Amino acid sequence: MNDWAPVLGVPLWIWLFVFPSIICVAALLKPKLLRLWLTPIWPWLDKLYRLSGLIAACFMVLILLLIVAQMIARWSNVSFPGSTEFAGYAMACTSFFALAYALTTGAHIRVSVLLNWNDWLKFRLDALAMYVAAFIATYFARYAIKTNQFSAMLNDTTQGQDQVPQWLVNTVSMFGSWPTTWADIWSQPANDWIYTPMWLPQIAMSIGSVLLAIAVWDHLMRLLVTQVSQIRMESIE
Amino acid sequence: MNELYAVGIFLLVLFTLLGGSVWIGLALMGVAWVGMELFTIRPAGDAMITTIWTGASSWTLTALPLFIWMGEILYRTRLSQDMFKGLAPWMSRLPGGLLHTNIVGCTIFAAVSGSSAATLTTVGKMSIPELRARNYPEHMIIGTLAGAATLGLMIPPSLTLIVYGVTVNESITKLFMAGIFPGLVLAGLFMGYIIVWHYFSKGPRPDPEPPMKFADMLKNSRFLVPVLLLVFAVIGSMYLGYATATEAAAVGVVGSLTLAAAQGSLNWDTFVASLLGATRTSAMIALILMGAAFLSLSMGFTGIPRALAAFIDSMSLSPLVLIMVLTVFYIILGMFLDGISSVVLTMAIVEPMIRQAGIDVIWFGIFIVVVVEMAQVTPPIGFNLFVLQGMTKHEISYISKTALPMVGLMALMIVILVIWPELATWLPDKIRAR
Repeated sequence: MNDWAPVLGVPLWIWLFVFPSIICVAALLKPKLLRLWLTPIWPWLDKLYRLSGLIAACFMVLILLLIVAQMIARWSNVSFPGSTEFAGYAMACTSFFALAYALTTGAHIRVSVLLNWNDWLKFRLDALAMYVAAFIATYFARYAIKTNQFSAMLNDTTQGQDQVPQWLVNTVSMFGSWPTTWADIWSQPANDWIYTPMWLPQIAMSIGSVLLAIAVWDHLMRLLVTQVSQIRMESIE
Repeated sequence: MNELYAVGIFLLVLFTLLGGSVWIGLALMGVAWVGMELFTIRPAGDAMITTIWTGASSWTLTALPLFIWMGEILYRTRLSQDMFKGLAPWMSRLPGGLLHTNIVGCTIFAAVSGSSAATLTTVGKMSIPELRARNYPEHMIIGTLAGAATLGLMIPPSLTLIVYGVTVNESITKLFMAGIFPGLVLAGLFMGYIIVWHYFSKGPRPDPEPPMKFADMLKNSRFLVPVLLLVFAVIGSMYLGYATATEAAAVGVVGSLTLAAAQGSLNWDTFVASLLGATRTSAMIALILMGAAFLSLSMGFTGIPRALAAFIDSMSLSPLVLIMVLTVFYIILGMFLDGISSVVLTMAIVEPMIRQAGIDVIWFGIFIVVVVEMAQVTPPIGFNLFVLQGMTKHEISYISKTALPMVGLMALMIVILVIWPELATWLPDKIRAR
């Protein structure tokens, strides 16, 4: 299986599925010890989820601004090429960045008939469901990253009329490459506008799905060491 | 036979994951993955992400977060207080009195918000204590509120209709237009029920309202007028073709921000709170839509939709019988799933079926919303029941008993829709002709 090729000598699926599972088993067997180790990380992760929620909120404002700009452009007969594509990208960014934040604030819905049956079932079923969810979310994140890398490799560009400035593409590519290649990246004329390469908006999908997977594993471990689900509904009045 | 075996496994996984309380969006992804592995040799992971990305970055979906945000902004204004004060003087002369504020309040808030829970809390926050203070019978207060709040799903903007439109690839504007008259008729049925109750009940009468001058009535409802204007701007711009559904949503957000600023309830905190609230809800729906997109791809490979459509076709059922069967099916499904999930979960199968049977897809959207509305107030899982339980501290069983007449009226609404389908299809046809 090429998709799970070894990383540092260990197949990727062991990194992604087996190692977190081992931590979960440890959390189940030695909750006190693991609690001691894990607790210091929690505030940082909570900040991370909230930050991604705030980024998502900014993209929601961007959707509004794009659509208002599009309407104004139409009324004043100015063309705004690619506005629908940009709104679509902003939509994707809003959704993906908010996934983990929505999870930790209890916004994602589930069928809770069995969950609320009794306390014995509540803890066990909740843990089992989160374990399954963690697998699915991790699988999702793995392929989101793969697709993102493929889009970059194949030079996949938009099929619409949307263009972005070259300097933006260059700046973002610097984060994903070694400093030795930075000279090559900036050899492109920075002031040109190019058709949006698909990998650029897809970064939101990679980051968002990875955060979702982290959030599910994190909350599974929190559940295992504290015996109580740490997902709190913020919307309850 | 081997096929049947695989289909059995597929359905078993579906019910296990959903019933086992895995988050619905992720559960759908898991089921879809199983389907891909069972029925195709296509690499599941790559197909999954391609489908999800295409769905998640679609322009039609942008109406969703904006309409949610609009509702969140108005929810945080003084609308709730002003709604009761503004409506009460107008409603007090009707037989049944101030109970009508529940229905009319819900109808108005439904027109600025796409969610039933938000409608319920906004209207109920004020009307429950006020009606109790005036000695209205408890079961009527709770029942009418539970029923009328479901109008949030039907009267545009409606989140369920946006999701339905995106799923079956139909114009959201048309679906919104189709929802207007059935929504108003349903509200009319609820009000008619209150009037009938008023004449037939023998219990003690609630205290009559002191008479009020016309100028005072206007003064009390001064905040309702701008909200109504906003409603007409949003719906009117779609109807007249000046704006797409997404653009109308943007108008709605700007308008409600302006309203909130004008009455002084807009500050940085409420702005951020409304934005984050909208982000959460929209991400929740987006995750379900991602799972559903992958599931319908996978479902196509299983052959279930085609086989079922062919089966229905071979039985040569009349559309009427098909609708009756589907009504029962959705009511059962609605006992366990919320509206949006049951729509996205079933449309991959039901859409070919209804297209085959020649049922209008726009009309079917309205039909499905009425059925989903019923599910909101029927136990064991009815979201409005939970919200009302939180607000009133009554037992779920009591609340669902009070809402039972409303469920009956919604069933009557389905009959009305079947007899007069034009109720839903007439207005969208008008914009089609423009």
